[in-house]
Parts: sequence; C-alpha cells; structure tokens
Amino acid sequence: MTDAARDPYAEAADHGPLRFLHRLNPLAKIAGPLPAMIVLIFSHDVAVPLAFIVIALALLIVGAQLSARSALGLFVVLPLAVAVLTVSFGLWTDASRVDSTPVLVQVGDYRLYLGALGVGGTTALRLAGILLLSLVAGLTTTGPDLVRATVQQLRVPYRIGYTALAAYRFVPRFGYELEVIRQAHRVRGMAGGRGPVAGIRRRIGYVVPLLAGGIRHAERVALAMDSRAFGASPHRTERHLVPFRARDVVFVLVFWAATAAVVIGVMNA
Amino acid sequence: MAAGTKGAMSSTRPAIRVSDVRIRHLDSLIDTPDGVSFEVRPGEVVLVLGPSGSGKSTLALALDGLVPHAVPATLEGTVAVDGVPTVDTSVAWLSERVSMVFQDPDAQIVTGTVLDEVCFGPENLSLPVADVLERAETALRQVKLWHRRTENPDRLSGGGRQRLAIACALALRSPVIVLDEPTANLDPVGIDEVYAVLADLVSDGSRALVLIEHNLDAAIGLVDRVVVLDREGRLAFDAPVDEVMRDHADELLGLGVWLPTATLAALRLRAAGVAVARLPLTPAELTALLDALPGRAAGPALPAAPAFPSAPALPSALPAPDPLPAIRVTGLRVSRSRTELLHGIDLEVAAGSFVAVVGTNGAGKTTLLQAIAGVVAPPRGAVDVLGLDPARADVRRLAGTIGFVFQNPEHQFIRSTVADELAHSLELQHLDRSEIDRRVDRMLQRFGLENHRDTHPFLLSGGQKRRLSVGTALIAGAPVLALDEPTFGQDRERAAELLDMLKQLNDAGTTVLVVTHDVQLVADYASHMVVLADGEVQAQGPTARILASGALEAAGLRAPPLVRAMRAAADPAWHAVTRLRDLDRVAAS
Repeated sequence: MTDAARDPYAEAADHGPLRFLHRLNPLAKIAGPLPAMIVLIFSHDVAVPLAFIVIALALLIVGAQLSARSALGLFVVLPLAVAVLTVSFGLWTDASRVDSTPVLVQVGDYRLYLGALGVGGTTALRLAGILLLSLVAGLTTTGPDLVRATVQQLRVPYRIGYTALAAYRFVPRFGYELEVIRQAHRVRGMAGGRGPVAGIRRRIGYVVPLLAGGIRHAERVALAMDSRAFGASPHRTERHLVPFRARDVVFVLVFWAATAAVVIGVMNA
Repeated sequence: MAAGTKGAMSSTRPAIRVSDVRIRHLDSLIDTPDGVSFEVRPGEVVLVLGPSGSGKSTLALALDGLVPHAVPATLEGTVAVDGVPTVDTSVAWLSERVSMVFQDPDAQIVTGTVLDEVCFGPENLSLPVADVLERAETALRQVKLWHRRTENPDRLSGGGRQRLAIACALALRSPVIVLDEPTANLDPVGIDEVYAVLADLVSDGSRALVLIEHNLDAAIGLVDRVVVLDREGRLAFDAPVDEVMRDHADELLGLGVWLPTATLAALRLRAAGVAVARLPLTPAELTALLDALPGRAAGPALPAAPAFPSAPALPSALPAPDPLPAIRVTGLRVSRSRTELLHGIDLEVAAGSFVAVVGTNGAGKTTLLQAIAGVVAPPRGAVDVLGLDPARADVRRLAGTIGFVFQNPEHQFIRSTVADELAHSLELQHLDRSEIDRRVDRMLQRFGLENHRDTHPFLLSGGQKRRLSVGTALIAGAPVLALDEPTFGQDRERAAELLDMLKQLNDAGTTVLVVTHDVQLVADYASHMVVLADGEVQAQGPTARILASGALEAAGLRAPPLVRAMRAAADPAWHAVTRLRDLDRVAAS
C-alpha cells in the first residue's frame, strides 16, 4: 500500500472537477506561477509573499487532492519552518539597519530588535512563497505527464524526454546499491574515523563501485531500448495525450493577472 | 497473421542465416565468435551452448543487429535476417523481425507501468493507438500479466518481470525471439514461470526461439537444435538436439559445456559400468532409464541397492560430527522499517561444515546471513560466532572471525590495487609490513592472482574479482566464511569453479556458510542445509536428509532435477540418491 502511495509512475488520478489542478496541463501549472516566483526573488516587502502564499494555499486547498502527508507538510511543517527561519534570519540581520525598532531580547551586548525579526520573517515568507507556488504543479503532476507535456507542447525531442524518464528508474536502484556498498565498506573496516575529512574520503570510496555499476546498467538499458526500436522514427505513438486546452490558457492568464494585481497593489500602498 | 504468411513460405528461407561470422569487440584482440555459420529456421528452437568467453552473448547481439549497430565491435561475414544482411538495415527494422530478451530483468524496464512497458516497442514503431493496445493486450495475456497491467513493474517478482520482458518482445510480433540467459537472475519459481510461458509460445510452431541458457534442465525439453561453440568461439556442433546431446556428450564436457543433470547422472552410471544405451536429457527420461535397467523386476540387480536403507546412512551425508558449534543463533529476530523479517531463528552450525541456506526470494536468507556476519548488527546476545557477538564486536575482530563475501564483488573493493585490497584488513590489525607482504603473496598465489598484484580490482575479469573477494574475506584469518548468493547471475562454469574453491577451503577446515537459491549446485557441495520460509527455519540438517524429506517443496522450492528423477524411480533403492557422486557409490559397491 505504502509502495503504491509513493509510486512515482502511478497513473495521474482524476479527482473530479473541483480538484481542477489535476486536470490542467503541467506546463500551465508551471507557466502560471512562474512570474510570481520571480517577483518573490526580488521583492523586499512582507505583503507580497503573504499575498502569494494566500493565493497558492487557496489553490492547493481547493484544487488539489492533498494526501495526509502533504497536508501535514503544508499546515504543520511549513509554518514551523517559517518560524525557525524567521528567528535564524533575524539573528543574521545587520542590527545597525533596524536599531530604531524596539529591542525584544538583550543578552549582554547583543540586542535582538523587532525590525530584525521583521526582516527575517519577510525572507522566510519569500522562501515559503516560492516553495508553495512550485507545489501548485508539484503536488498535482506526475513525472510522466510532465515529460509528455514537454514533448507534446514544448517540442522537446522525444528521445531526450523518454530517456530522462527511463533514467528516473535508476534512482531507487542506485539508492539500494549505495546502501549495499556502504554496508560492504563498513564491514571491510573502511570507517576511517570520524570528522569531515574521513567522511569525504569514505564517500569518494563509494563513487567508483557506484559509477561502475551505473554505467554498466545504463548500457544495458540502452541496448534494451534500441532493440525495441526506440529512436527509430522522428515520431512515436503517444497513447496519453496531454492537451493544452482553453482552460490552461485561462489559468495562466488569470494567474498572471493576479500576480500583476498584487505587485501594483503593494506598490501603490 | 504476419506469422501465418511467413510460416507458409518459410520452408525454404531461413529466418536468420549466419555465415562465417567473426566479431571483434573494440577493446579485444581476438574474434569471438570466430567463423560461425548456422541457420535459424522459422518455428525452430535453437539452443546455443559454449563455455564462458566463447562469444555466445555477442552472437546473440549480432542476431538482431545490435552488433555492430549499437555495440562498438566489428563484424565480418554476414548475419542475414529474412534475407537482408543486418549491416544494410537498421536496428529498428530488425526489431520487427528479431526481438531480444536479456538476462537482467531490471535493465530492460524503461516505463512506469506494465501496460506502458509492453506498449513501448509498438509505440516506437509509430503504430496507431488501437493497434498498440491490441498488441499489448494479446502479449500480456500470453504471459498471464494482463490482470496486473496497471502496476509498477517493480512490484512484480523476478520471474514476473522476465515474463514482462517476453511480452515486450511478443508485442513487436517478430517471428524470432532471442533470449540471452533469461533465467540466470531468477529463483527456481521464476525459472519455472518463464519456461511455462516459453513452452506455451513454441507450442504452435509460429515462432522461432534462439536460447542462450546455462540452465539446461529447464530448457532442454523445448529445444529442437543445438549450436555449440568451442572455447575459441568456433563452431563445434550444429545438429538436432538428440544427436548433439546424446551422441556427443563426452565431447561437450571436454569443451567445458554444461550438460543436463540427467545426462550427467547417466554418464556417471555408464562410467561405473552400468549399461546406458541412450543418454537421457530430462529427469523423466532418467527415471525411465533406471526403471528399464535389466533385472529390475527380479530384485536387487544393483549390488549396492540393499546398502541404502535410508538417506542418513549415506556416508557422504555425515561429515565428522563436531561437538563445537562455530555459529550459534538463538531466538534471532530482525526487523527492517517496522516489518519483522526474521521471527525467532534458532540455528547451530558445526565447525568445519559447509552449510547452504536456501529459500525463495523474500524468505529472509540474506537478512539472516547479514545478521550472523555482523553486516547489519543483530540484537545483542542473539548470535555467537566462535565466542564473538557480532553486535558488540569491532570491525577488526569481526574480520578475524567471519569473512563476508557480497553478491557483487565490486561492492566490497575499497583499494586501488589487488595487493592493497588483500593487505587492507591486515593493516587494520597493525601487523608488521613483512608479515603483511608474506601473507598477501601467499594469498595471491593461492587464488591465481600473482600476475595481477598491481592491477585495479575493477579491471579484473569476473572470475578473478570473485576470487579476490573471497581472498580478502579470508586473509585476516577468519575461520568462518559467509557468502551471499555467490553464484547469482553467473554461468555454470564460473559457479562450479567457485564452489570447487569453497570445497577446497572447507576441506582445509574453513566453515562455509552460503546463501543461495541454486539447490542443485549446492546439493553436490553442502554438508548441511537450512531451509528458510517466511523468516522461519523450516528444516535444518544434513543435505541428503533435507533433500529427501520434502522440506524444499514445503518451503516453495523445487527439489533439484536429480532428486526428482531418483524419487520417481520404481525401485526405492534409488530414492536415497541425492547427488551425482552418490551414483558412483551405488555402482561401485
């Protein structure tokens, strides 16, 4: 059951018209939020990230079928992370720029100003905003659909797209192989002591067997794909069409309009 | 449909014609195969045999044009498919005429669901969607995976994934399928699944198969014709299966080619003076041979028969009993990510014994071995290896007590030369340089690696890597050696070479513990067996007794072919025979 839940290839499920994000083209879900993400990289105002966080959360709550895990991440882990980041960034803030604001904590010579927390909070919220905007596509799109969309709409050569998809299968295999190599090296007494230098040496030792195995595996997969006529013709049959429909255009335009409205609204305020 | 028309006109034209083919890999100095000619006719099952290094796999890659189109190698002579030389056409064109199934099921899967996987080939051929789906459904139904079409291929068993690979070949609708060691990575259940599917495929004669297979016991029943290459890659035989296997068995053995167990058994009987007119190829034929031996009905025609009251009385089944256990496991429970894999294992391994741990995939064999060898720390107090608890021991003491050999030798190489690799665990023990050099030299000699002292371990051949990994496990003086699936993915010759080496070590006093699913191979070497099923010990004891007891079947395994043939014999005297060398005793006494 848990395997199925984490299956990166599971068929994109349809969760009805209300959960509309699952029905949109993956490219639309990336193109829509993209300008907002760029704005967040450069904005210094607390209102801009807040506005985009509200928009992204609203989209996800209404339009996405959230698993218990994702919901936990969004509503518990993310706020906690924002709080921690706020304080950490606050501690890093140049005190001379915020010393006009009230002092919150004083330890010896060190003063933590309210303004410092404000700056930290803004930065944390900008990061959270970028993350949430990327999750609009991230939580509602499957890897294969994204590849299909890049091949069908962006005209990425299918040889590249589907090879990337095949390579994605290597990840769990390599993870397993790495675990075995680590075990093997540990029993052989390759622990080599503690500390960062020993740690780096240890990891370099994993690279050779991992690469040797990886290259061999990749060659075999390539032969298997060749023998099944992969790359034979300029086009290949696509059973799953991922169309770019009117509603995708509408989604992108509305998102862009909302982004512009937020930016103009904040500038005028 | 296509197969039908092809079949009608096929009596004249071969599906594949190989003429004087020489193939040289980019980095090689010799041609293997070297001047080979043969034909594959429509609907025929051709078995290609040859010792390691004779170029069987290279030949397989040449049959569908991957050599020379996709593999850097030069090809002399011609491989003609449907009359067209492979060099004059493309791999894509060939894929509709000759399709491939490779050894490693994992290395052939490129998509995320069973259905997508089977559709992959037809999609590449740009067929209309309806045709793609129709072909996929037919192929998946043929291998009995249609009901699992929506699943991720990772969730199938090894045998299931290999059946999927066969379905992918079927979906290309090619009249010839080439299978290169299709069962080398499978457990016995998976092997049976694959051969059940293949038997079904060839039953109507519409498809030709070219089989490269070391597991002859499973394959031989399907085969029409055998092509044998010798060690230099030259053609040794090309004839119907009966002629090659029955009339030239001794020559095949001389070439280093493995034979079916039934044939090997009959050869042993013949050498011992029993009249064997026609060599058997399958267990059923061996049983028939035994039952037809002259004087069978009249009573004990074989003088030895009365000497075999029951299995445990076999002298070979009783190694000198040693009161001191080398390994004692008590109530061992091991969990991984909240699932209990071993449910209270109790086990004793006598010092000096050769123990095989067998079980189906997922029975917990490797987990048990890793816990015993301290690769994954067991709970404290559950395992005792010669007085050492692997849960508390440091690497140095562990290496001096129990050596562990991983399934893939490359995983455990940590130094950049063979000599350093051997010296590593001695350096950890802070021995003298001169003592280290002495021991390394001795080990290099013992494992035939003297000429590779300064070679990088990764540049050794497969067999040399395996020998080095055993050498590194032994050099610190460990009296116990644990090996995880040491014969997995290897051909019979390499596997036998390794087991012979283990046998020598065992004779010299090393306690050997092997995890495997290759029951037949182990039956001839192990003194004791432990049968695991679902994380519990199903049976343990002397090999002959376990093989005769039916514990293997109870654990979802199959008895090896020899045991099956002997058990089916009419005279109960044969029932106790579990290994080839038992036959010598039967005939000699």
